Amino acid sequence: MTVTEAPRDVVDAPAGPAPSAPPTGLAAVVGSGDPRTIGRLFIGTSLLFLLMAGVLAILVGFERVDLSGFEVLDSDIVRQLFTLQSIAAVFLGVLPLLIGLATAVVPLQVGASTVAFPRASAAAYWTFLASGGVLLAAYALDGGPFGGDAEAVSLFVAAFIALLVALAVATVSVVTTVLTLRAPGMSLRRTPLFSWSIVVGGTVWLLTLPVLAAVLLLVYVDLQYGQQFLGGSDGVYDRIAWVFWQPTLYVVAVPALGIIADIVPVFARRRHHRHAVAMGLVGLFGALSFGAWAQIGFSVDGQSNPTDWLYDGVWIAVGFLAIVPVVGLLGLWAATLAGGRVRMGTPLILALFAGLLIGGGVAAGAVTVIEEVDVVTTTWASGQELLVVAGALVAAAAGLAFWAPKIYGKLLPDGPVRLGGTLLTLGAGVAALAYGVAGLYDQPRAIAASLDGVSEVDTVETLNLVAAVGLVVAVVGGLAIVAALAAPARRRTVADDPWGGHTLEWTTTSPPPVGNFAALPEVTSEAPLYDARYAAASAGPAERTEATA
Amino acid sequence: MAAGSTDIEVFAGAPAAEPPRPRVLLVGSALASGAAAMVVLSLVAVYTHMRAEVIAGGERWLPEDLTVQLSPGNMGMVTLLMSAVTVAWAVYSLRNDDRVHAYLAFGLSILLGIAYIPTVAYGWQQMGVGITSSTQALLIFTITGLHVAMTGVGLAFLAVMGFRALGGQLTGRAAEGAYAAAVYWYVTVAVYGVVWYGITITK
Repeated sequence: MTVTEAPRDVVDAPAGPAPSAPPTGLAAVVGSGDPRTIGRLFIGTSLLFLLMAGVLAILVGFERVDLSGFEVLDSDIVRQLFTLQSIAAVFLGVLPLLIGLATAVVPLQVGASTVAFPRASAAAYWTFLASGGVLLAAYALDGGPFGGDAEAVSLFVAAFIALLVALAVATVSVVTTVLTLRAPGMSLRRTPLFSWSIVVGGTVWLLTLPVLAAVLLLVYVDLQYGQQFLGGSDGVYDRIAWVFWQPTLYVVAVPALGIIADIVPVFARRRHHRHAVAMGLVGLFGALSFGAWAQIGFSVDGQSNPTDWLYDGVWIAVGFLAIVPVVGLLGLWAATLAGGRVRMGTPLILALFAGLLIGGGVAAGAVTVIEEVDVVTTTWASGQELLVVAGALVAAAAGLAFWAPKIYGKLLPDGPVRLGGTLLTLGAGVAALAYGVAGLYDQPRAIAASLDGVSEVDTVETLNLVAAVGLVVAVVGGLAIVAALAAPARRRTVADDPWGGHTLEWTTTSPPPVGNFAALPEVTSEAPLYDARYAAASAGPAERTEATA
Repeated sequence: MAAGSTDIEVFAGAPAAEPPRPRVLLVGSALASGAAAMVVLSLVAVYTHMRAEVIAGGERWLPEDLTVQLSPGNMGMVTLLMSAVTVAWAVYSLRNDDRVHAYLAFGLSILLGIAYIPTVAYGWQQMGVGITSSTQALLIFTITGLHVAMTGVGLAFLAVMGFRALGGQLTGRAAEGAYAAAVYWYVTVAVYGVVWYGITITK
């Protein structure tokens, strides 16, 4: 027997350097595979990008106030900013925000110790950060759609592809977490609705983002080899614009529905009314939001842009059918609240605002598919995009307020979050309404398009002013939410379950320890904590202690 | 063992068996494979859609100077189909702890995967035009090039799992990594089937 094989109890302290202490500060952040750290990074970065997108939207909005020409900025720059505001809002803002929230919360909800692929999630965040930075730099170098510098345009396309890869990798990690790492007893049927919505939404993202990446790759190859096919930088935005139209636009709202569905029953202090039906409706909405088939077609000469799906039966049907799950969910939430003892907490208020915004966006989408109204290329569609994106954003804010004890180890200050969410909702709602009405006066969506068809120019300009002011209010609301997140905690400790939650994340400490859970309760329904609390309340004194424990 | 106690009594007191290992890598690979497939398939959809529109307009789809020969595409398809069989062989051998056959099958799979790449390159050479010659050429080069990239990722995945098997990390009881690599490889072969039919056969 050699010395190294001696029993552990007779061996002295190991020779050599002592194990190094766990990293702190920047090293702990950069090298972290902790899902909450990665989630917080995604959330913080995406909020900053969103504020930038909001400011860009304001600039573009004020440019529309005077339709006779460009007053604030150069026309080329306005066209680029117009594209950047949408790209930043969706791909640098809302999607990573929801992914960050999911990365931090989903493992807790399903009773897992971490996400399925922590290192992949971390790599996805850093790729997202780097590619997002390069994408903005490419715009600054006169790249991006309508850019004048060919190399910078190619750089934009390459950065966008890398960004999509990062988002897809992070999505694979959270979806796999739900599918494989659920606690014993938690069947898919018993999965919390936010986690379920991540499975649905994430699957649709994984079917949609690669299509966009493929189209961008084609654009990149074309830019590199002669620009014979897609018309150079002027043709780039046509290739990606479908993402901001229905039905693909709805894909950002799928997890938002899950967030609302998890918040409503907690604040109603009762089970979610017909949980299984709600799961089905979220699934249906997700299926309807797959819209990679509804994009501008390609032509050999690069001149025509066929859109043979426009006002086609399938497109019209999807536009109308998308209302069904959203209205169904709104009805289920109303029934849940009606049968409960409602406590009007900030997360619930924001969740209801989000539900209304998304409902408005889907209703606007149903109008869009009516050929006689003919608003698909007008600012009506901009208003619809604003409603859906703002709805997802307000839902994410509701989720942040709800799960802040688990993500940040603190409760967010009620006033600023409630004020911020209200301003965001009001501002986005007013701006969307103004753009929608301006769309009915035939104001084109594309900012540099011909204004020949615009009727009532003065009215449209007034509406554009109202929309710009609405956007300012919305951005101020967003700032209030960011400030609330950045504010230090008022109390040193926060309760493990401050809201009386129903799902597993509320069984652990706030913030959770490494590994998330010391022990898990038995999962026998979609609301295990609600069951335990109900059992405790209905049991006698002797049993009550046991049930509570 | 305590005197007088039976095996059943002893095992009854033993801790419960560990729950089945969650198939994290397998599910993650399946999702990633689906996403990777969508990249190539969406471009095939663009290709076939454009072709249908051009033909519906009464025009010829492929330019006169562009030739898509059957032999390279067919050879590529046959090579990849054989590799799918050898990958299945590798997984089967590993599951049965037949390590010699597993190593052999992993090696053959990688060899066949590498052999597929020259068939694509030969097809490009046989086309007789450059990528800038026409939209059709640009599409064909991009689609087949993307599939080569997808195959490269699959080869790397197979190689990593092959080396892990060689190192004893994959066994009959824990062969999830091999299953994951196999799923990705099968998807890669299936996607090539679509590319082959869409471009080589129906042109």
